[in-house]
Amino acid sequence: MAGGEGSEVNKLLNNTAAWTSLLTFVILALAWFVGFASRLFAIIRFESIIHEFDPWFNYRATHHMVENGFYNFLNWFDERAWYPLGRIVGGTVYPGLMVTSGAIHYVLSLLNIPIHIRDVCVFLAPMFSGLTAISTYFLTRELWSPGAGLFAACFIAITPGYTSRSVAGSYDNEGIAIFALQFTYYLWVKSVKTGSIFWATLTALSYFYMVSAWGGYVFIINLIPLHVLVLLIIGRFNYKIYVAYTTFYVLGQVMAMQIPFVGFQPVKTSEHMAAAGVFGLLHAYAFLKYLQSFLSRKEFRYLFFATIIIAVGVGFVGIVVLTYAGYIAPWSGRFYSLWDTGYAKIHIPIIASVSEHQPTTWVSFFFDLHIMAAVFPAGLWYCVKNVNDERVFIILYAVTAVYFAGVMVRLMLTLAPVVCVLSGIAFSYTYERYLYDEGEAKETPTAVEGKRSKKDEDSATDDQDARNRQLYDKPGKAKKPVKGSGGTTSGGAGGRADDEEGIGMNVRSIVSVALVLTLLMFVVHCTYVTSNAYSHPSIVLQSQTNDGSRVIMDDFREAYYWLRRNTHDQARVMSWWDYGYQIAGMGNRTTLVDNNTWNNSHIALVGKAMSSNESAAYEIMRDLDVDYVLAIFGGVIGYSGDDINKFLWMVRIAEGEHPSEIREGNYFTESGEYSVGPGASDIMLNCVMYKLCYYRFGETKVGYQQPAGFDRTRGYVIGKKDVELEHLEEAYTTENWLVRIYKVKEPANRPKIKYTERKIRTKRAKSSYPKKGKAKKGVIKMKPVVVKGKKPVIKR
Amino acid sequence: MDGLIESMYFSFLDPPNLRLKRPSWLKAPTPMVLFGVILASYFLVTGGVIYDVINEPPSVGSTTDERGNSRPVAIMQYRVNGQYIMEGLAASFMFTLGGLGFVILDLCNSPLMPKLNRTMMLGLGFSCVLIGFFATRMFMKMKLPGYLMG
Repeated sequence: MAGGEGSEVNKLLNNTAAWTSLLTFVILALAWFVGFASRLFAIIRFESIIHEFDPWFNYRATHHMVENGFYNFLNWFDERAWYPLGRIVGGTVYPGLMVTSGAIHYVLSLLNIPIHIRDVCVFLAPMFSGLTAISTYFLTRELWSPGAGLFAACFIAITPGYTSRSVAGSYDNEGIAIFALQFTYYLWVKSVKTGSIFWATLTALSYFYMVSAWGGYVFIINLIPLHVLVLLIIGRFNYKIYVAYTTFYVLGQVMAMQIPFVGFQPVKTSEHMAAAGVFGLLHAYAFLKYLQSFLSRKEFRYLFFATIIIAVGVGFVGIVVLTYAGYIAPWSGRFYSLWDTGYAKIHIPIIASVSEHQPTTWVSFFFDLHIMAAVFPAGLWYCVKNVNDERVFIILYAVTAVYFAGVMVRLMLTLAPVVCVLSGIAFSYTYERYLYDEGEAKETPTAVEGKRSKKDEDSATDDQDARNRQLYDKPGKAKKPVKGSGGTTSGGAGGRADDEEGIGMNVRSIVSVALVLTLLMFVVHCTYVTSNAYSHPSIVLQSQTNDGSRVIMDDFREAYYWLRRNTHDQARVMSWWDYGYQIAGMGNRTTLVDNNTWNNSHIALVGKAMSSNESAAYEIMRDLDVDYVLAIFGGVIGYSGDDINKFLWMVRIAEGEHPSEIREGNYFTESGEYSVGPGASDIMLNCVMYKLCYYRFGETKVGYQQPAGFDRTRGYVIGKKDVELEHLEEAYTTENWLVRIYKVKEPANRPKIKYTERKIRTKRAKSSYPKKGKAKKGVIKMKPVVVKGKKPVIKR
Repeated sequence: MDGLIESMYFSFLDPPNLRLKRPSWLKAPTPMVLFGVILASYFLVTGGVIYDVINEPPSVGSTTDERGNSRPVAIMQYRVNGQYIMEGLAASFMFTLGGLGFVILDLCNSPLMPKLNRTMMLGLGFSCVLIGFFATRMFMKMKLPGYLMG
């Protein structure tokens, strides 16, 4: 398609540059479109709705901002969260996400396009995936070549590693932050190349946007100094780097401090100290370079080592001393667990309890990256082989991101972009060798033919691939001279001359066609994974019946709507922290703890209430003014993410704060297993969580064959069927028993015992009130009495 | 400056006669050594070594079949967040093999290579890519039997 038309027009216009840019534009636009479209599975299957947990808070905050204005949002004190503490939302949130969607909403309403803010929120992440693709294209173009950039853009548009966080409805910080990350890196590479203050300032601006959007900005502020440091060490220092880094550092840090949540962290926490250290080191180094012109060689060497050692030593000691003195906060636990991988498991159960903080298995790598997991080392190899200043950067990015992705599943998100970049490089380089070198007259037609025949077979997935294949047809021609002059592939140019006999054309085309096929498999895989694994709204459960149709279970919204409609506006709902944001967002009720896990002891208190027996829990609930208790129970439908399965974490977190009352070991069976079956311990069978979940469960049968009280999720009959509640009463249970809500009873009246039946007969207490005046209300002594004035009689 | 320090220090210090030499094996690593190190660590990380260290799964699982014999199981089925040690290493070996295949495909374009070697290298690299790709796909199908089925 492109090749044939291109050659015709070449005769007419002989203007390859125009065609290259047109193709680039079309390919990027298609990448944007495909990336957007492939993220819509959940919406098409269900409806336009916010997913998961955190997005509900983001949506609620955005809604608040749109209704009340930006400054009211910054000053927002949310008294409906963390009862009785409340939460200062403006100061504890990264506002970039809300401001972005608020701005889009504002612009659209200026253009008289009425749209609900919810729809802006739902579609924000898919829109930004296109921007991410474009910034990845620019980054890869700076690092390697435009062809590789197009490959990378197509990869990032559909790679599951990035799609997982940016499907429609998952309205979370990461959705826009990856765009900001890639764009900042592009600008950084650009400013290292040019050494201009202009680009460095843009880098700082983009960094500012990243800081406002996601806590992952710490990755940038450590990776860029690392890049500078490595360049210094391997002797690639030049004044371009000096200009770029100093400009970026100063402006970036000053701007980062404008975000209320970040505040003075850039100068006060250990996470930012590496950047400050490199800033100082760079100045020392540059100063020495300046002195070099005045000094003899020997003097200079002496001075050089002395100064560097002193600078490093003083800086290091200074930071350590300041940390001990308390001026610099040490590494935060979440960050620290990246280095000492066992740290979170031992010390901070609340971090370890989140499933996305678990270490990664090989399946996640394959699932999220597919063929790119294998191609990635090859791209790295090309970069190591033809190294220059900016490729050092991508190598460092790759190495650090691989390590972080191995530590936490969630950080696969930062790995995906660099893998796309390097795979783009590898594919483009390989295709360049295998399609182009042989001489385009012979080779290009076969490739075009191969493409045509396949195009007919599979039109749905093929447009992705068609784009991939266009890449090596067309832009390759324009790019070749550039590469030759860059001197990177001198071997390639030489190889072409005597290659003619080397590898036959057939072999070459077999290799290329096979690679195209793997790319096709990649597209199929991405679509499959996006559709089946990453497009579940998670507030709506769907299961498939035997005939293949989808059954949708809407229990969560049912329960939250019940809360919204049938409880008092000020009612306090206690639940485990996972559901805090949803209760606040959908139920509009006050919660005790939520997904912003800033107060560990408060969460531990709720965990303690859930894991102690009813009377002990009742005291805690009275103290915390709880009106309703909410539990998620999946035993009827076999939903595995319910509170019983999470229960051990509640126990662990409670044990961390109240070790004398809660002991993890008490909740296991005698053989040391976690079970709610017949062998379960008494403490387990009498704790509030067990009662909440299994109240009246023993009376039901989930299937025809199963005995009463059979738990589908656990797969056995529960240990204690006659659960009785004393201080709680069942208020509402949803259709599939997924959500169970209980009302906390008022304290019971004290039992009245007749005087004659009493064992200890004290003197009959005299009532302090006179009997006769009983019907009267109580009076306060010495109460100031308003004496009604008489109208003064005026005598004349 | 040099002279000043020398005269100050060595007025009361007697420097010992040492001949310190940098050990011959200490050199800046070549890019390829560096790449080897990176590749090795990539192999380990994608194999889920960090997961293995933290969660300490068995190297190979075992199950009991219908006759009561215990049989080894290579792959922990249906659990995306769980793995056995050998399973992870095998999968990441396949990733690395695929990556090396691409590198070999690049190498056999070098002009100084005789024809036979070139063909063999090409075959080797190409089969590495394909084996790596299909083996991981097979692992995936063993892990999640419903993979790509709907």
